[in-house]
Amino acid sequence: MGIIEQLGKYFILMGRTFQSPSKPKLYGKQIIREIDSLGLGSIGIVTIISVFMGAVITLQTASNIASALIPAYTVGFAARQSVILEFSPTIIALILAGKVGSNIASEIGTMRVSEQIDALEIMGVNSASYLIVPKIIAAVVINPFLVVWSMFIGIFGGYLVASLSSVVSVEAYIYGLQYDFKPFSITYALIKTVFFAYIITSIPSFYGYFVRGGALEVGAASTKGVVTSSIVILIVNYALTQLLLI
Amino acid sequence: MIQLNNIHKSFNGVKVLNDICFTFERGKTNVIIGASGSGKSVLTKCSVGLLEPDQGDVLYDGKNFTKMSIDERKEVRKEIGMLFQGSALFDSMTVEENVKFPLRMHSSMSAKEMKARVDFCLDRVDLSGVNQKYPAETSGGMQKRIGIARAIALNPKYLFCDEPNSGLDPQTAILIDNLIQEITNEFQITTIVVTHDMNSVIEIGERILFIYKGQKHWEGTNASILSTTNKELSELVFASDLMKSIRQKNS
Repeated sequence: MGIIEQLGKYFILMGRTFQSPSKPKLYGKQIIREIDSLGLGSIGIVTIISVFMGAVITLQTASNIASALIPAYTVGFAARQSVILEFSPTIIALILAGKVGSNIASEIGTMRVSEQIDALEIMGVNSASYLIVPKIIAAVVINPFLVVWSMFIGIFGGYLVASLSSVVSVEAYIYGLQYDFKPFSITYALIKTVFFAYIITSIPSFYGYFVRGGALEVGAASTKGVVTSSIVILIVNYALTQLLLI
Repeated sequence: MIQLNNIHKSFNGVKVLNDICFTFERGKTNVIIGASGSGKSVLTKCSVGLLEPDQGDVLYDGKNFTKMSIDERKEVRKEIGMLFQGSALFDSMTVEENVKFPLRMHSSMSAKEMKARVDFCLDRVDLSGVNQKYPAETSGGMQKRIGIARAIALNPKYLFCDEPNSGLDPQTAILIDNLIQEITNEFQITTIVVTHDMNSVIEIGERILFIYKGQKHWEGTNASILSTTNKELSELVFASDLMKSIRQKNS
């Protein structure tokens, strides 16, 4: 299937997803379930990745600053900027695209091949809306919290390195964290997160929704969903950075 | 009553259904039979709107379903119950939630009324006391019965059953057949059963449509099918030694 045809199918599905929901009040329970499954279920992996990410950035920056002309607080400054602007929103989005995206594509794909989606349609339910909207809303609501948590833990990872090793002093690291801080950096990161949350949920949903066949095809759809959403995240990341920061 | 008028359907240039005309009558068990790949499932999906026919019309009690808007179709679909080949129960919901689902979507019943209706439907299919189990915790036969309970929850006017006996032992298959026929007679609904099972055809096929290579090849009743002279139908019906011995005894 050509890329234009795929895009067309994707936008038609999104059109269906956001029109005429069947009993929207029933979505509340679904959204809470999805927040639990997609968001709270990812706290563990986000924490582990973020703490090591912050620690490694701090170690690498410190080890690469050899000149005495560069102040020591640059380590804290670089760690903060890297974590807030790029690592937490983008890398966490890529990790979630793998974890959450494969989960969504497999869940919806399995529902398709086991005729559960046909059963919804027969009951007069807009299946695209019923299955996809709660996932998108849940991710858009919970992912900013995950990213803020990741920022906090990432910076804490750097702090651990400063306290446990001699690459940089704790005082210099903390001074660097506070140096020339622009609150818009957080706004920028959160705007990106909302876009990424939409991508992470809608693209794997698309691949899952149109699966034809059996277990093999569900697996293939899951892979395609993860790969495509990761690529789209990188492209959108570039576009948003150009729009918001330059 | 459901009328199929000149239904045509092709996939990638390959004709799957060719000019099918048939009427599924109310209060009767209408059975669609045919070899694998003959177009039975495609015809069923065209009838309920899961696939769009390339040509032709499907009429539900005279109303042209094919030409209806999405909202108009939704109204008709509230009157359709369907039992899928693999039951298609929602894995993440309990048995009770599965049967309650159409009620939550399309009725204004109170929680108490819904519970009573769910209990009635489960009781009707002889499945009391399994409300809090998940589909994965039940047997294949039970899943079919839960599927029937869910299909009748909204008091449908039309009931579609796709291979209701597939994967079931003969005793359970007979139970399911009897249940479908009882429900059809009790509620006077239009029932359409797609099956390969010749026992079912003989037991419950009040009106039979035989499809061969995408075309209507024969229509009749369970009484007339045993004496058919149609070559392709005979090959399908009397494929087994058991059916051959029945034919010999009859003749």
